[in-house]
Order: sequence, then structure tokens, then C-alpha cells
Amino acid sequence: MSFIELKNVHYSYDPAAVDPVEALRGLDLRIEAGEFVALLGHNGCGKSTVAKLLNGMLVPTSGQVLVDGLDTALESNQLDVRRRVGLVLQNPDNQLVAGVVEEDVAFGPENLGVPPEEIRRRVDEALHAVNMYEYRASAPHKLSGGQKQRVAIAGVLAMQTGCIVLDEPTAMLDPRGREEVMETILRLNREKGVTIVLITHYMDEAVRAGRVVVMDEGALLTDGTPRTVFSDVEHLKRHDLDVPQATELVYRLVAAGVPLGGMPLNAQECVALFEAYFREHPRT
Amino acid sequence: MLSDVTLGQYFPAPSFMHAADPRLKLVLTVFAIVLLFSAGNFAALAVAVAFVAGGILLSKIPFKLYLKALKPIVILIVFTSVLNIFYGPGEPLVRFGIFRITRAGLLNSVFVAVRIVLLILASSVLTFTTSPTQLTDAIERLLKPLAKLHVPVHEFAMMMTIALRFVPTLLEETDKIMSAQKARGADMESGGIVQRVRALTPILIPLFVSAFRRAFDLATAMESRCYHGGDGRTKMKVLHFGGGDWLLTGAAVTVLAVFIALNLLVPGTL
Repeated sequence: MSFIELKNVHYSYDPAAVDPVEALRGLDLRIEAGEFVALLGHNGCGKSTVAKLLNGMLVPTSGQVLVDGLDTALESNQLDVRRRVGLVLQNPDNQLVAGVVEEDVAFGPENLGVPPEEIRRRVDEALHAVNMYEYRASAPHKLSGGQKQRVAIAGVLAMQTGCIVLDEPTAMLDPRGREEVMETILRLNREKGVTIVLITHYMDEAVRAGRVVVMDEGALLTDGTPRTVFSDVEHLKRHDLDVPQATELVYRLVAAGVPLGGMPLNAQECVALFEAYFREHPRT
Repeated sequence: MLSDVTLGQYFPAPSFMHAADPRLKLVLTVFAIVLLFSAGNFAALAVAVAFVAGGILLSKIPFKLYLKALKPIVILIVFTSVLNIFYGPGEPLVRFGIFRITRAGLLNSVFVAVRIVLLILASSVLTFTTSPTQLTDAIERLLKPLAKLHVPVHEFAMMMTIALRFVPTLLEETDKIMSAQKARGADMESGGIVQRVRALTPILIPLFVSAFRRAFDLATAMESRCYHGGDGRTKMKVLHFGGGDWLLTGAAVTVLAVFIALNLLVPGTL
């Protein structure tokens, strides 16, 4: 059994309407423990709805969401689901509760009724894990966006959820803050085996995940490794979706008749590809 | 400009008063204020003054900061004491026209001035040495018995915590909205009072809209982190009533005993 299973999930924000608009139309998705999944799609494709379904903030209109075998639709499972799946939102300012960093990180474990010494230990560990330990006594409004977002991640880590869902966590950050957050997520996945579901519209972030799931109009479009998903550029383009910059460049060159072999996913691969090309075709 | 406003001016320092239990500090502040207002003669008042002075010394915060706290109410102090000079009963010392100054009036005005100054100083000791979070925590613990009477003590404390957390965020936002509206030609600095109040509308409406949006996000974030009210909740920082706090309590009891004795034995000045 997978860690998270979505079975034929439909969701409508207003099911009572005469002609209900469905945000999700029969989504099937399985996420295994320890995976790093990037969830892509353009605005309004149902990405954020999925985020809230994964920790039971929303429950499907029809179909089923199982987290570690627990049905999220049952009221009695709610706390247990949220103990397993943590959520980080887009706006870093709106999700910090306390006026001191370490107290905010302690908020989750405090709600779970963890004994004080154990909370202290978890908070310190979580702050070390996101490299924010030295800011433990600061006020959140004195931090940069990237730092605030890392505190929010620490807040979920301290709950020891095992899985973190991040709903466009870098959308409001500057490039430096984005890189800080991405590095933190990647490290947590690699070193601590935390399951990550990253919802994003930056293709260059999605490329760094282990698996890319593309959604369109409330349903699954493609699902696979970044390489398989992004190598089918036409398919994505047909659905008005972007590909990483490097992939786009090579795709256009190939379309213009330059015989380049392969599809790079990032700048390094792209450079390597051009080097190989110029070695074979020395300029005269 | 707006971000200069600080709420609950807390100055971290490694002092005896900073380390003291915030619950005790809160109770002692109330205690000091009660002493100030029940002092019937200068001897008893001196005891209260000494008590507050002790707190100030133990806080290791430069006296300059305390003076700063007094600055905004200087006018109030002067005004009330001047008024009090003329309203004393008894034989007048000086008389000009309808005004008469009596001995009781003079003493009374000094008394009132000392009381107000000390009132401010005593509460400053509390706010200077206690962080807002500690203060909320202290209020929650002290009011806990009321929870049995279905008073939502935990919810009240949580509201305070969140309010304090969002004061700087919303101030920053107000600044941004003001600049945005000014850039669009809003005029906030001219006109009469009615016009100025009206000019606030384009600032307040976006501010409210955004505050509601933030509240919605915050509710999602809190629920995601398993918040389900105060039941079964633990705290990372448990308030600890330590040796220093017993010393402080002992001092307060001694002060109280001396205060009562002086208040009863020394004839009233007023």
C-alpha cells in the first residue's frame, strides 16, 4: 500500500450549485514514502486543491483520499492525518503564529501534547535541520522571506510528520530565498527521508524532484521522472505548459534544424550538450 | 515611520528582574500599585517608593529609559498636581483673589505627583523586563481558575499572542498601502479634520481585506498544525517559580508588613 493514495477523487468547491464546476475530475495518484514529487500545472488546474486534500483540510466530494491507510473524510481521523502530513503555504507571513521563532516551531508539538523537554529537543533539532538555529530568539517579521519559509518548514518538521506538502512555497520569494528553500527541501528528502510533495510552477524547481506529476483541468496529464516528462515537449506545449529554460532552448534549436542529440534539463547539461556538439562540428 | 511604534517595550538584559517569573512580576506590579494608592502618609509612601526603586535597580535597565517612559505624561502630572494645590481644605497659606493655597493642598499635590510617577515606573519595570509572550503566558496561567467558570482563558491568550505577532506585519502593510495610495495621488496631509479622516478610507479598506485574507490563511496553517483548542495542549516553556522568585516574594511580604505598620502608626498627612 502506498503512503498516500488518491482514488478517483472529484472535488467541487460548490457541489450544491446547479452546474457545479469541478476543481478535480477523477484524480488517481499514489505517493510512496520517501519520494520527492513535484506537482505541476498552470493556474486553476487544481494543484492547491490537491495540497489541501492531502492533509484533510478539504475532503473529496466523491472518491477517497487515504493517508497511511487512514480515510481523510472521517472526522475522527483528522488529527492523525495531520500528524502524518504537514502543510506549508505560499505566504510566509500568514502561517507563523507566535512572535518568537522557536515558539512558533513549538506550536505544532504543543498542540500534540508532547512533553516540554521533548518539545525543546524537537524544536532545536528542527531549527538545526533548516539552518535557522541562530535565529531562534528572533521575531518573525525581522526575517527575510526565505528565512520565514524555512521557519515554517521547521514548524512542520518538529511535528515529525514524515511528509511535507508545500503549496508554492517559493512563489513570493526572491531568487536567493527560493534557492534557500529548495536546498532545504532537497536536503530533508535526501538526508532524513522526508516525503516531499512540492507544488510549483517553476519548471526549474520541478526538474530537481525525483518524480514529476503534471495536472491539467483537474486530472492527471503525465507522471514520470523529470527526464521522461520534459522530453515530450510537444505534449506539454499542447497543454500550454512550460518546460525548463534549457529544454526550451534545445527544443527550439532542434526545431530550427540544428542536429543536437538529447534533451537537457538544466544549465549544466545544456552546456555539456553544446560542448559535445562543437567538438563534432568545429567552427570553420 | 509607523514601524517605529513598539508595543510592550521589552529590553532584553541578563538581570534578576528579567529572570523572575512573569506571573510574580505581574502580581507584584499590581501589589505596588495598590500600595501606592493606599498609602496614607509620607512614611508609608516612602516604603512603596523604595519597593518600586528596588525593582528598577534590579532590572539593570538604564534609568534614562524609565525617564523616557515618563515623558509623554509629564503634562498630565503637572496639570493634576497644579490643580490639587488649589483644592486643599484648611487654613490658607497664601491667598490671591479666589485662589487659596493650603498646606494640605501642597502636600496633596506632591502626593498625587509621586503616585502617578511611581505608577508609570512600576508598570515600566514589568513591560521592560518581560517579553510580550511571557506576559501573555503569565496572564493565561493566572486566569486559569476562571476556565472552570467557562471563561475562554486559553482562547483569550491565543488571541493576544496572534495580535502581538501581527502588529508589526500589519503596520508594515499600512505603510505600503499608504505609499501605494500616495503614488496614485491620494492626499493625506491637507484639509480639515473631516477631510483627513475621509482620506483614511482608501487605506483602511485594502488593509481590512488583506487582514481577512491573512486570517483565513492563518486558520488553515493553524489547523494543519493540529491546533484544536486548549485541551491536551502542552507548553515548551514551562514557567518556573525559582529561588529568586521566593526571595522576591519574601521581600514583598516584608514590605507589606512595614507598610501596614507605618500606615497605622504614623498619623495621616492628609
